[in-house]
Amino acid sequence: MQKKVACSFPDEVLEHVFSFIQSDKDRNAVSMVCKSWYEIERWCRRKIFIGNCYAVSPRMVIRRFPKVRSIELKGKPHFADFNLVPDGWGGYVLPWIAEMAGAYPWLEEIRLKRMVVTDECLELIAKSFKNFKVLVLFSCEGFSTDGLAAIAASCMNLRELDLRDSDVDDLGGHWLSHFPETYTSLVSLNSSCLGSDEVSLSALERLVGRCTNLRTLRLNRAVPLDKIANILGRAPQLVDFGTGTYGADLQSDVFSSLAGAFSSCKELRSLSGFWDVVPAYLPAIYPVCSRLTSLNLSYVTIQSPDLVKLLRHCPSLQRLLVLDYIEDSGLEALSSSCKDLQELRVFPSDPFGEEPNVSLTEQGLVSVCLACPKLQSVLYFCRRMSNVALVTIAQNCPNLTRFRLCIIEPRTADFLTLEPLDVGFGAIVEHCKDLRRLSLSGLLTDRVFEYIGRYAKKLEMLSVAFAGESDLGLHHVLSGCESLRKLEIRDCPFGDKALLANAAKLETMRSLWMSSCAVSFGACKLLGQKMPRLNVEVIDESGPPDSRPDSCPVDKLYIYRSVAGPRFDMPPFVWTMDEDSALQVS
Amino acid sequence: MELHLGLALPTNPFSPIGYEGPFYTNVNTSNGSCSSGGGAGGSKKRRGFDEETRVVPKTLRLLLWKTDQPDDEDDPNDLDNSSSSSSAILKNDGEGLVGWPPVKAWRKKPRRHVHNGRGRGRANNNRMAASKSTYVKVKMEGNAIARKIDLSVHGSFESLSSTLMRMFNITEEHWQKSFKLAYQDREGDWLLAENVPWRTFTRSLKCIKLIRR
Repeated sequence: MQKKVACSFPDEVLEHVFSFIQSDKDRNAVSMVCKSWYEIERWCRRKIFIGNCYAVSPRMVIRRFPKVRSIELKGKPHFADFNLVPDGWGGYVLPWIAEMAGAYPWLEEIRLKRMVVTDECLELIAKSFKNFKVLVLFSCEGFSTDGLAAIAASCMNLRELDLRDSDVDDLGGHWLSHFPETYTSLVSLNSSCLGSDEVSLSALERLVGRCTNLRTLRLNRAVPLDKIANILGRAPQLVDFGTGTYGADLQSDVFSSLAGAFSSCKELRSLSGFWDVVPAYLPAIYPVCSRLTSLNLSYVTIQSPDLVKLLRHCPSLQRLLVLDYIEDSGLEALSSSCKDLQELRVFPSDPFGEEPNVSLTEQGLVSVCLACPKLQSVLYFCRRMSNVALVTIAQNCPNLTRFRLCIIEPRTADFLTLEPLDVGFGAIVEHCKDLRRLSLSGLLTDRVFEYIGRYAKKLEMLSVAFAGESDLGLHHVLSGCESLRKLEIRDCPFGDKALLANAAKLETMRSLWMSSCAVSFGACKLLGQKMPRLNVEVIDESGPPDSRPDSCPVDKLYIYRSVAGPRFDMPPFVWTMDEDSALQVS
Repeated sequence: MELHLGLALPTNPFSPIGYEGPFYTNVNTSNGSCSSGGGAGGSKKRRGFDEETRVVPKTLRLLLWKTDQPDDEDDPNDLDNSSSSSSAILKNDGEGLVGWPPVKAWRKKPRRHVHNGRGRGRANNNRMAASKSTYVKVKMEGNAIARKIDLSVHGSFESLSSTLMRMFNITEEHWQKSFKLAYQDREGDWLLAENVPWRTFTRSLKCIKLIRR
């Protein structure tokens, strides 16, 4: 390529061309072509995704990308969802907001996952970004409805407010009345996680009535069933609706207005909510069922026959979340009614019980896999599994991209042969060539990891619990899985050897979590010493790890790559192993 | 036959190649046979491990790993409960494993702030505010094993009772005739769950017991 050809394009033209390139990977590739493309690209990058908020500092991001309009950040490791990460671990977004308040006055979108957000952060957002449009707080915590009130009061261009699964201090529904009467831009509101009994229904109804572009509305449990008709009546254009409580004494007038309200929602494609369901009210949604593509029944504690009755009305269903009350018979019925199914999640109704409380086994999943060719994503909790079932699933669903199986009792063997489930999971990774996410369970030896290392070349995230026999298992995964980004392991006999032997691999991944394994403190120190671009953090609530011999295993270990160096906001129970191998205690 | 691996550092022009540190050994990428470990239920088979298909970057050799001796399978740092399934399950004060099964339990932390003079309020009362999750213990009189149920999915005594009946395999008839629902409140008193509004019940209860009439 001759230099004069490259210079003949003015920057604006290149910028315009680059504006058609949206994906991060492509943008990163563009920026590496040459210095001038790097410069042009960085000035016109509008959207940033940071999968680990500690991998880079706010200042570094701002320095490179001065004109960002949309940012997505993730904080705590995934196992925080299951109480494995102690409170106070970190993931604070305030430093980011504080820096961006000055640097990105035109910031429009903030999406956060597993981060600590305070009311102060929300107030700062409300004050600093004049054109703020989208706030998504996914599994976040640390804020109250007072912070939300600040957002509501100030953000005149707010389109989306999504609090899914966040832990919010709900002081009552008054925050909704902080949206000014002149505010009409809302497109999406998800407040389903709010726990207070109080909600300002009149403010909600007025808000819904004047926001004619509203497409998504997910209410919280406090909104009673008899108010749904009124709300839907003001928003018949809704595409995605989440009810509040869906139970009450059956009254025919309430039922008929409810059914009428649902029938007028011609665009409705997704339903959720359904707390405290009274089965007699379910037929009110039948008018919309034929068009439904997504149904979340994970709070619905009704029995299989009632569930089946509902599902038979939903032939277009692509996504179903349901409790194991559906049982094998219900899943069989599902497989004959819903041929377009792409995603299935079956949650346990009694996860801590020792005996099965429902008749849900591997058969349910097999029947769905045999009949639904488009199935791509599975999350399934059950109490027994067999290799032959897994092989059948693998052979019939080669398009699976996400397969997460949780056999509730750790180390459960194949119930037919009493063997490990290595061969079954091996078939999954062998046949499902596009598998990106896998969670293992049941009795598993090192062999399953050999299969995973050999076949799972597109695997990006692997979750392992109570599996394996030796470091060889971990070595297979780290050395074989080329696309691996996130690895989380608990209660496995993996120690120092595989970790140290594959240290370089860790720099190609986002993060590694190991808890209740056999990694020694000495190995952690060595790793921290030798790998300056990794942050090796030891989490131990029982006291400083150097008060015990180096050969002692650490309780929890979180390793992630970072260009920002060790962090300084660690709580007392987190230690970073760094270059001088001295402890950094905050 | 042995499997030799080194500390695999990223290759960059500045890292010393062929560094001879204190732990230097020859890297022989030979076909290694590795015996599988004793582990929980795995049988001892010899498997071939094809090292030659993997591209091994020139590395800083810090670690020699021999896997043909059964002793080496037992990592000296192995936790003593990692191979025994029963002891592993009884962590967390016999309450069961932390974070297993991996269901997203609603975590409630004590609220630190008092907002604008308003009290904390039992704002989140359809979640169990004081405990870390919405699961409460249920015991049946005469049955040694306690169970746990997620109260947040129930909105009424009917719903709760039908779940408990399924859980303990009690028929409706038997339930009406022989059982009563009792609960222990936060003060430690045992009360009958009769004539108590559902909300009061869920707000004050700590655990549930099925007692025989």
